[in-house]
Amino acid sequence: MARFRNQRKNKVFVKPIVKKNQQQQPNVDHITGNKIPKSFVFSRGKLPGPIRQLQMDLRKLMLPYTALNLKEKKRNNLKDFLNVAGPMGVTHFLILSKTETSPVLRVAKTPQGPTLTFKIQEYSLAVDIAQSQLRPRCPQDLFKNPPLIVLSGFAAGDEHLKLTTTVFKNIFPDIDINTVKLSSCQRIVCLNYNKDTKFIDFRHYSIRLQPVGVSRRIRKFVQNHQVPDLRNLQDVSDFVTKAGYGSESEADEEAATVTLTSDLSRVNRASTKSAVKLQEIGPRMTLQLTKIEGGLCSGEVMFSEYGNGGNKKKPDSEEDGDNDDEMKDSDEDNEGEDSEEDIGESEEDEED
Amino acid sequence: MQMGKKKDKALNESESTIDMKPMIHENAQFFDKLVELIPARFYLPDEKDKPWFQGLSKAEKASAKKQSRENIKKARRDRLDPEKSTKTTLDLLKENLEKEKSNMDSDGEEKEIEVRPIMSDLDGGEERSVTYEELRGSLRSKIEELRGSRNIPSSDKGKKRKNERNDKKGNLQKKQKSDGVVEEKKIDSINDEHNVEKDIVEEAANKLIFSRVKLGDNEDKREDSKKESTKSELLAKHSWKSAMDRAAGIKVHDNPKLLKQSIQKEKKRHQKNAEKWHERVETMKKLKAEKQQKRSENIADKIHQKKMLRIAKREKKLLRPGFEGRKGST
Repeated sequence: MARFRNQRKNKVFVKPIVKKNQQQQPNVDHITGNKIPKSFVFSRGKLPGPIRQLQMDLRKLMLPYTALNLKEKKRNNLKDFLNVAGPMGVTHFLILSKTETSPVLRVAKTPQGPTLTFKIQEYSLAVDIAQSQLRPRCPQDLFKNPPLIVLSGFAAGDEHLKLTTTVFKNIFPDIDINTVKLSSCQRIVCLNYNKDTKFIDFRHYSIRLQPVGVSRRIRKFVQNHQVPDLRNLQDVSDFVTKAGYGSESEADEEAATVTLTSDLSRVNRASTKSAVKLQEIGPRMTLQLTKIEGGLCSGEVMFSEYGNGGNKKKPDSEEDGDNDDEMKDSDEDNEGEDSEEDIGESEEDEED
Repeated sequence: MQMGKKKDKALNESESTIDMKPMIHENAQFFDKLVELIPARFYLPDEKDKPWFQGLSKAEKASAKKQSRENIKKARRDRLDPEKSTKTTLDLLKENLEKEKSNMDSDGEEKEIEVRPIMSDLDGGEERSVTYEELRGSLRSKIEELRGSRNIPSSDKGKKRKNERNDKKGNLQKKQKSDGVVEEKKIDSINDEHNVEKDIVEEAANKLIFSRVKLGDNEDKREDSKKESTKSELLAKHSWKSAMDRAAGIKVHDNPKLLKQSIQKEKKRHQKNAEKWHERVETMKKLKAEKQQKRSENIADKIHQKKMLRIAKREKKLLRPGFEGRKGST
């Protein structure tokens, strides 16, 4: 009887992204003609509260091309997610899990793409960051457009770093310089690789443009529509022409001014100088790349931080000797590994 | 009395206009008498400040009241005292006039005195604003000091961001330019002890990589790789290459299982199609055969029917009652 039960198909409970008044999201970008990468962010195993919050923050980060209200059941396997991903056009999985030492983030490309495993050394939630700021900023349509991404420190690295850059570059949709709207570039994700500690800093900012060269008073007046206090002045000309010192930050970012090519808003007009200001939103993480696998959470381990488990195979498979196929879907890889981390991993793989 | 005086005036006017002085004098006297009737405090302008009792405390109010009561008493006594000389309204008015005359001379001096306090206020205000400005100036100088002692890379990053933002023609040209600038700076600042290789690596590490940008170039160009000698090297290279391609969205058909599956699928599809065709052909044949059969049946039937008819016709003759024909007769 048990056999029959197991054969029953386990379906993933996935709410489609379709909203009532909106059409379904396009699969192909109208402008560049390439496929728009979409992602699922989910977790494997039971996670403590803050990590679930982190998962939510990551989902918000990946908006708009992700399932915000993805619901996963305990019995869902990776296979179920894969089955749903195909028809929905999902290209990347971001999988959060927890081992005894630290939480783990796996970035994988469906359907059989490489999997990068990162160990999350430290992380901060978006709520914490907003609380630490004096004026947290979240305009309404901040998450309507996908973010830009900037990677630094990766260029001189080995294959594994190159692969990391490729994967991250392709998680977000392409930018066509000729047709991109400046107003749609509102968020930016920054990844910085520290060669010495081999840690990757992950940051998420919102972009704001502020006109430069205008006195603070006039700028504030035009932006905020606040009636200025003219009590102590004799004449409006005093208000307009009073020389005031700019704020500290204005002086610092002379290097970060740009000349806009198009009008962005009432305040930022074309061919005037504007300063680019970044304000941090969203989660902050410090990642360490631990493993790269050739398949989706399976397959040959191409890179491993700790050196062991690299290409360890059971003696049986080695004797078989047909290594013409590189991508072996072998579960045997994980069984030979001894480190605690990998034990954790293998547990998860068994769940899968 | 008034009316009488007026009448007299009217009568006298016609007589002599030279008699103005006594007339004026009389009028003046009359007005003086009127003024005398009015108590001084209503007629003359108040020199003292009006006592303001509202904002005072209880004790102050009580003392003020006491004082005012005493003043009233004193004034009444003075008024009704036959010994003290009463100052009529007129006298007080005269005194005021004299005072004003004396003030007129020294008016200019007073104005100056008044003006000066205002000037001093302005000075005070300016002094205050100057100190404010001084503070701001010192703050600015401090900021510049701190800025001067900052690292170089931060400013480079700013430059990089600027380059990212510059639209229109490809990013690449500008990026390369700025990288050149960065590289020069780095070479200057690094010690001579370091290897040249290290320098290059560090410079390369500082390059920024951005989102995937469509420039109109053909990005799908694949490099031809040399054939390596060892198998494992080949394998490793292939695995990395396929991983990179997959990450970039290019489909790599690597997996033999899946390839087999797809071949099988194709085969089965072909088989199915062939079957369907066969079936179709069969059914066509059948139908054709059926139709032919039916047709031939119908034709045969018709012929048969015809024959029967003829026989029936022949037999009809024999069935006539009283026919003595063929078979019945001997």
